[in-house]
Amino acid sequence: MIYDIRHVTTYRYDEAVASTRCTVRLSPRNQDGQHVIDSGVDISPPPAEKAESLDYFGNRIATVRIVAAHRELRVAAIARVEVARPQAPAPGLTPAWEQVRRDALAFPSLDGLSPVNGLYPSRLASLHAPATRYAEKSFTPGCPILEAAVDLMTRIKSDFKYDPAATAVSTPLAEAFEKRGGVCQDFAHIMIAGLRGLGLPALYVSGYIRTIPPPGKPRLEGADASHAWVSLWCGHEFGWRDLDSTNAMLIGDDHIVVAIGRDYADVSPVDGIIFASGSQTLSVSVDVKPVTEER
Amino acid sequence: MSGERARPLRGDASAQSRTESWIADYAPIPGIRDEFVDAAGKPRPHWMKLLGALARLTPDEIEQRFAAADRRIRDMGISYRVHGEARERSWPLSHMPLLVSETDWQEIRSGIEQRVDLLERILSDVYGPAQLIAEGALPAAAVAGSPDFVRAMRGVKPPGGRWIRLYAADVGRGPDGRWWVLGDRTQAPSGAGYALENRLVLSRAFAGLYREMNVERLAPFFRDFRTGLAEAALRSEPRICLLTPGPWSETYFEQAYLARYLGMLLVEGEDLVMSEGRLHVRTIAGLKRADVIWRRVDSDWCDPLELNAASQLGVPGMLEAIRRGEVVVANMPGAGLIESRALLAFLPALARRMLGEDLRLPNIATWWCGQERERESVLSNFDEMTISGAFSESVPGLNIGRSVLGSELGANERKALIASIRERGMDYAGQEVVRLSTTPVWDGGKLAPRPFTLRVYAAATSDGWRVMPGGFCRVSGRGDARAVNMGEGAQSADAWVIAEKPVEISTLLPAADNVKIVRLLGNLPSRAADNLFWFGRYIERVEATLRLIRALCSRLMDADMPADGVRQSIDRLRRTLAAWGATPPDIDQFTPAALAAAIQSEEAYGSALSIARAARRAASVIRERLSQDAWQLVGRLETRMTSKEFGGASEPEIIERAEAALHTIAALSGLVNENMNRVAGWNFLDMGRRIERGINTCRFARQFADRDARAEQLDVLLDLIDSQITYRARYIVGVASAPVRDMVLLDPYNPRSVGFQVARLDEHLAALPVLSEDGMLENPRRIAMKLRADLAIEDADQLDTQKILAFEQRLMGLADSIAARYFLDGAQSVHTKRQEGLA
Repeated sequence: MIYDIRHVTTYRYDEAVASTRCTVRLSPRNQDGQHVIDSGVDISPPPAEKAESLDYFGNRIATVRIVAAHRELRVAAIARVEVARPQAPAPGLTPAWEQVRRDALAFPSLDGLSPVNGLYPSRLASLHAPATRYAEKSFTPGCPILEAAVDLMTRIKSDFKYDPAATAVSTPLAEAFEKRGGVCQDFAHIMIAGLRGLGLPALYVSGYIRTIPPPGKPRLEGADASHAWVSLWCGHEFGWRDLDSTNAMLIGDDHIVVAIGRDYADVSPVDGIIFASGSQTLSVSVDVKPVTEER
Repeated sequence: MSGERARPLRGDASAQSRTESWIADYAPIPGIRDEFVDAAGKPRPHWMKLLGALARLTPDEIEQRFAAADRRIRDMGISYRVHGEARERSWPLSHMPLLVSETDWQEIRSGIEQRVDLLERILSDVYGPAQLIAEGALPAAAVAGSPDFVRAMRGVKPPGGRWIRLYAADVGRGPDGRWWVLGDRTQAPSGAGYALENRLVLSRAFAGLYREMNVERLAPFFRDFRTGLAEAALRSEPRICLLTPGPWSETYFEQAYLARYLGMLLVEGEDLVMSEGRLHVRTIAGLKRADVIWRRVDSDWCDPLELNAASQLGVPGMLEAIRRGEVVVANMPGAGLIESRALLAFLPALARRMLGEDLRLPNIATWWCGQERERESVLSNFDEMTISGAFSESVPGLNIGRSVLGSELGANERKALIASIRERGMDYAGQEVVRLSTTPVWDGGKLAPRPFTLRVYAAATSDGWRVMPGGFCRVSGRGDARAVNMGEGAQSADAWVIAEKPVEISTLLPAADNVKIVRLLGNLPSRAADNLFWFGRYIERVEATLRLIRALCSRLMDADMPADGVRQSIDRLRRTLAAWGATPPDIDQFTPAALAAAIQSEEAYGSALSIARAARRAASVIRERLSQDAWQLVGRLETRMTSKEFGGASEPEIIERAEAALHTIAALSGLVNENMNRVAGWNFLDMGRRIERGINTCRFARQFADRDARAEQLDVLLDLIDSQITYRARYIVGVASAPVRDMVLLDPYNPRSVGFQVARLDEHLAALPVLSEDGMLENPRRIAMKLRADLAIEDADQLDTQKILAFEQRLMGLADSIAARYFLDGAQSVHTKRQEGLA
């Protein structure tokens, strides 16, 4: 499946902003099952400095500095991505979760996608004992890790209410857990916290999910917005496996991965520091269109 | 204080008996090694030398010396802040130094040199090729769990070639007589400045003794540290900045002190900006390159763009500047990962592997529970262990904030902790329980043994590591010798390394040949200029408020049957004080208590005390730029206002209090004018005073010199601006409105007139650097020149309240224009909002 993605972020400021320095994480990753055919980020006002690089986790980032005074900052990212993921493994064939815990702890690498990066609490996905106890119910002794994780994800889908009004981007994990509601970001953080609490390596994935529902199937929540889910390391043989905790499904060709990190703070699409005194408003629009018919 | 050698040794017998009773009364803790006496209770020779000299003083003289040391600590404002407390505390200094023999010192020094070399190698491997990880010598998970594993620094070569430039280790002596490393400090080690201060205080209290004892000096260490930083920079005359978290930091005093001592620019995050790939300081002369940053801000707070977004202490883009090799940062962000206890467990093996030798100073035995065998071993010896967080000061799951002894836990806590260790062992470490040796402290005329730890420092220089001979010794308040219960220690002590031969004396003075003569030093950071300016304004405002209060008091005193004119003056003075926020606005009857409150009220925002506090807050941010004497006067200003010595709230007492405070301000003004170097800092301080005085004088003139002002009101005005004598000398006829207006507003020879203030402002502005070289006047100068000219040609007969108000407003416009041109001007670094549109 080929997608055209358009993601426009606009900041408007009450007072003119003298300068902006920002990090943009809007170019989808090139990785197994996903090939970026074309991508670009257009910024106005035009930046005085712009550099593209890969961050620690291998995400494609742009670092930008604007020095012209401005009242509006617009970041428009476009990408054409081909997605063709291999079949997900049968959960029952994955190793026991206790084995994965041991293997992750002993994993001999400090690179971005080493499971050791998913083991510890992070800024927005700290350990939360109630979340650990909640997750524990799915992890019975000897249970294959992916089977247990799918069970956990299914329970989150049924126990938690999708409710954009319940939380904001800054709502702490504990509060969303308490409310049993939130959006993709909250569900991902809660699931990650639960997995880490058990000593399992989990990361946060930001991306998109296709907008048009296939005929006869229900519309998937997450249309026209950024989406987020969980990646769980399932041992040496199976590596990282992505679980959409909002829709209770293993990711397939409907998902496009943009960035991976320990939590939202590592992958936030536009992170900026402005030198300013007034207030600001932010608007975001996202379009994800399949373009398979053009082939 | 050098008289004690020349003086004949009087009362040898009593000196001897004093020494003997100190020894006899000294009771070491059984089973614990002591620094002063050996196992048989016999004093060690180097201590006897110290006690012998001390015993030559009478008990009274000893107490006087100790009291002098304490006073000096208070006077110098040596202080620290306990986290979360608003007030700074004096640093408690033990009156007895810790003595370290040369033999002991060799052992420590060589161990520290080896250790920091090892740690530097580990950091460059972990952030670089990570061979130790790949080959299984160090588990990746033992690194990744540290909050100071700064992922963004992976693959980065540290500019200047080193991860660590200042290192500290806490060492203690075990029962076997060996020195042990209890922990490493590589993030931003504190305490070196306090060690220097302690040395200054104690060596003054015991000057002769200090010279006799062959104590190794500290100054060369600091000189070498600074040289090492300078040599690491790309430019030959680098600008070195000490990045402080600000006055709220626990060790701000130390940072300000070291910045002044080492000649560095003390900056906060806001002072720095990253542009064109480099770091710069925002100064009044524009952006100036920052070559070296000695950071006292923890890694996580260094760069809000790449690290903790909530940080207001860092510099957005700092990590990028490091990646580009354009700034040397000491220590490198990420160096702090060495501090985690998890790593401690691997150091003995890593030393053998990387250096081919054993650690010369062993570290306290540690087991990281992220490994199965080690975890089981900790759990099966639980009661003999100290349980610690593997990556944090506190133990995850326990709300204590420090390590705990397995044996001191209650049954429930114990059970829960063991379950947590089974579930997430990687978060925990077990350590053997270490019993520390004791050193004597002075306790009411006797010596008492107390456990201690010594923080030892090493600095990177171009020819290797240099270890500070001495250190920051912390002494426990209790007799419990288990290291885990030391906490931060109850007091600190100076550590004297006793050389066997006389030591070479040196200070920070460099060889004369290497010093280029410079007359105007550096560039003033905008934030410092801002605070100096406001310090000046607040001091002047305190003065004006005190003068208002004094003028009102004296008129109330002889006003049993006030004439109309006096009553009017009293009313206007009251209105002014209320308008300035010194008294509540609705007071009809001014009681003396209300007037006393105008000086000392904590609540009224315009009371003299409140403004004096604002002045001190502004000064505390630029403390390294004020002399010790000036800083003391700033503190005394407040004590004068609140002191009990002036009794109650009668008018004469209030006047006395106000005058005492005015004298302190006069002393401060004198000090600033006579002692402060005429560099840009002085310009801003003085401009602040001039602007404020100009504005206040306009306000007074509008109140007391309007068209229908009577003689009594003109008289008040002359009081307020301190020009009675000048006026009487010049005019014999008595007060008349036009001459008074001329003297107050226009007279260029009267140092209290508005015209005089504006002329000085204009001169200050002319002396300051300009941003562009196009020869055009900058805005503040343009405003000041025009104002100066207008005042010069103004005619006192034509002045009315409208005109005076216009001058006042132009002065306020000038203040705004100075702020816009030279200061950061209200804008600050703000994070952009984060995307909410999430599915």
